[in-house]
This record gives sequence, structure tokens and C-alpha cells, in this order.
Amino acid sequence: MSWYELFGFGEKGWGGLLVVGLLLTIAVTLTALLIGAVFGSLAAWGKLSASMPARIAGDVYTTVFRGVPELLVIFLIYFGGSSLTTAIGHLFGRDGFVGLPNFLAGALAVGVISGAYQAEVFRAAFVAVSRGELEAARAVGMPRLMRFRRIIVPQVLRFAIPGLGNVWQLSLKDSALISITGLVELMRSAQIGAGSTRQYFGFYIAAGALYLLLTSVSNRVFETAEARTARSFRRRLA
Amino acid sequence: MIARHFASALLSATLLAGAAASVEAKDWKTVTVVTEGAYEPWNLTNPDGTVGGFEPEMLKDLCGRMKIECKVVTSDFDSAIPSLVAGKYDVVMDALSITDDRKKTIAFSDPYAATPAVFVTDKTSPLANAAGTGTTIKLENDGATPTMDALRKAFKGKTIGIQTATVYTPFVINNFKDVATIREYKTSPEHDLDLVAGRIDLAFDDATYFTSAFAKPENKDMAYTGPQINGMIWGPGEAFGFRKEDTDLTAMFNKAITEAKADGTLEKLSQKWFKLNVVP
Repeated sequence: MSWYELFGFGEKGWGGLLVVGLLLTIAVTLTALLIGAVFGSLAAWGKLSASMPARIAGDVYTTVFRGVPELLVIFLIYFGGSSLTTAIGHLFGRDGFVGLPNFLAGALAVGVISGAYQAEVFRAAFVAVSRGELEAARAVGMPRLMRFRRIIVPQVLRFAIPGLGNVWQLSLKDSALISITGLVELMRSAQIGAGSTRQYFGFYIAAGALYLLLTSVSNRVFETAEARTARSFRRRLA
Repeated sequence: MIARHFASALLSATLLAGAAASVEAKDWKTVTVVTEGAYEPWNLTNPDGTVGGFEPEMLKDLCGRMKIECKVVTSDFDSAIPSLVAGKYDVVMDALSITDDRKKTIAFSDPYAATPAVFVTDKTSPLANAAGTGTTIKLENDGATPTMDALRKAFKGKTIGIQTATVYTPFVINNFKDVATIREYKTSPEHDLDLVAGRIDLAFDDATYFTSAFAKPENKDMAYTGPQINGMIWGPGEAFGFRKEDTDLTAMFNKAITEAKADGTLEKLSQKWFKLNVVP
């Protein structure tokens, strides 16, 4: 069978499976990035807070999830999570196994890891916001929430774009580890194709090319976003 | 505090209720079977996403005999046993060898396959058609039989390639190290490459592995030599894995396997997928 047939979209071609895997990789990474944004902004808020317990909580979160292997976090959430939900199920009289769906478990695992990195990105971006602007906003009598909405959020997001681009790429690669939960994302679909046809080399090369395509396209997207937001700054971002 | 715990448990439960995975009944009307779906020819995935291979076809037959519905799901091999123990699946079907280590965690059915191992050489080599070619011998422990003595004599001074750290490694070393040179390789395809290149005279590996290796055009000159070696020397073989407490389910599978063995169904499937009989 020729390469064209093997990776094509015909009856015997694996192209369809790989493309579905690619889409699932994008979906799971986007979900993880959103979950991470929630955890990350909470942790950044904690780290910058004046309250000691909030600072400690933020520091513990970013230290633990940046310092522990991703695979271990995925195992913990996938297996530990379903033991927890099964226990809760029993509490409500449901017999047997109640599991976290593997998409959710995987996105959650990659999400909390990416949240730890995003927290640092948001924290640095907040520090970069000019103190003078915050003082001026306070001087004209802007209430706290309005200051957050009008001064902090728009600028933090702009300063955070380059860092978020890195975190996105990191999460994209972490998502390959979710293949152990049986979710058929790009990595797992390549493994399935390789094991079913014994064309290991071909399938892993194909998956590698698709990952590269994904990261280079998203690099361009982040570069464009960076250039656009830089227009409203007096000087270029670093 | 208790009220708050309850509230958060309630919240998580409502969130999960919609998405929660299977909850099975204990009277075994349906069982969830996990397989890798990427270990040809044992189990594989077709390009259209369906699962095929020796094990899925055998399972279909067995479940018909047991009159239960078997749902096959695919997952990574590494997480199959932990997921079984956690209750996510009921049966593991993935060319799972019965080992004492695994027996500490899970229960096994009777074996449905025990793959023989065999020597391979170049068709044109004087070593082709060594003693016992085309037959099967059963070895129980150390391998001291007349056929083995003949092989030792025939392979004197030759070089044998084996994959390192498998059940076959100590067997070849113990039986041939005093008469032949033994070279260890990290993976099986590597000893094929060196055999074809003429760096080694013989290779020894799993017969089902060679069945698919022979299908590659670059290996067209490889041929079996000597007998197919089978028996307890390789361990009991491959079987279904169950949770230890599910003894009733294990017994149901054992009964169905015995029936399928007796009426020749297993052997027919084995010939179809492996081109040889792996039924123990």
C-alpha cells in the first residue's frame, strides 16, 4: 500500500482518523487553557494579595503544579478523580463505578498545570502595568471594580499575550499525555494506526508533522495578536 | 461544615450526573471489555474505527455462548489494569500474559493462547531444516530433550540473535551459550535486520512475531528452522484479566473458553489471524 493510500481519506486510509484526532487535540487544549485561565487568574490574585494565607495558597499551587510531572497529575486526576466520583455516587445510592469522562479528566489535568504557568504570566503582566495609571484611576475616584475592568484587565491581557503563547504551546504538547486515558486525540490515533498496521515510523512522523503544523500556525496567530495590541502601546513589547 | 460538604457533593454529583460514564449491573447482563486496539494481529483498529483481530472475534463467539452483551472499548495498555481495578472496565483483553506479579493484583481466566517460539534462519543457509522442523515440542522446564540436543549440535559455532529481557532470553543463553555466540538486541526487528545482512546465523523469537515479520518484503528469505517450542517453559500463556472479587464472571468466561476450545472455534480463529495454532 502506498503512502498516499495509507494516509489518504479513502476506505483504507487513516487520514480521517488522524484529522479527527487533530481536532480533538485542539478542543482539549482550548478547554484546558480556559480552565487554566480561571485557576491561573485566581492564583495570580492570591500571589499579589496583601493577605498572607492567599499568598501562601497561590505560591503552593504554582510550585506544586509546575514542579510535579504532568503525567503524574493526569494519573492522579483520571484515577483519583473517578475513585472520588464513585464514592460520591455511593453516597447517593448509585451502585458501581461512576467515572469522570476522559475528555473532562484530561482537560482538567492539563488545565490545572497550565493554570500554574498562567498564574506566573498574569502576575508578571500585572506588575508591568504602570503604577501611575492605577494611582491616577484612584485619584479620579474610580471604584475598585471599574479600575479592574478599565485599567487592569485590558493591560494585563496585552502584556500577557507573549507568555500565554508559550503556555498554549506547552499545553498543546501536554495534551499528548492524555492519550493514556484512552481519549483518541492526535497522539493516541497515531499509536492506534501504528499498532494496527505496524507502520510505526510513518504514523509517528505524520503525527509529528501535524503537531508542528499546529504549533507553527498558532505561533503566527499569537504574533499577529501581539502586533495588533502593540499598536496601542507607546513602545513595542519586548 | 457537614452541610457545606453535602452541598458541594450535591453540586459535583449534579454536574456529573449528565456526563457520568457507565454504571453496570452486577448480574452480568452486559460487561465492558477493554482492549488496546493497536496490537496487530491480537487486536487492531480498522481505518473506519471498528475493532478487529483475533481477540475481538474470539470475544464475540464467547459472549454469544454466555448470552451476555459485551461492550468493547479501547484504551492505552498502560492504564488498562489500573482502570480494571478502579472499576472502569470489567475485563481486560490485550494479549495479557499470566504472570505471578499480575496475579497479586488481578485474576485470570484459563489461557486462550500460548504462543510458541521458534528459530529462524536464511532459506539458503545450511542451518535450514534443522532437526524437528515443522513439528511442535513441549518443554516443561530446562529444555533437555533429544531434539534440543540435536539443535545444540547443529548450531555449534554459529551466532544466535535474541531480543533482550524476554522469557526467551534466559532459555537461549542457558541452552546455547557453551556452543554458540549469542547476541542480544533491544528490539526484535533489529535481529531480523542483522540476520538478513548476514551478521548472525539464527534468530530466536515468538512465532506470532515472525508471522508478521515474514510478511515484509525485505524478510522474504527468512525461514523457520527446528521445531516450534511450546509449553510451561514460557509460562501459562495469554488470558483475560478480571477483578479478583468477580469470581462468577471469571467462571463464566472459563466455561465458554473450554467450549470454544473443544469445538475447534479457537483453533480456527488462531489459524486465521496467526497462521498457526496458538491454542494451549
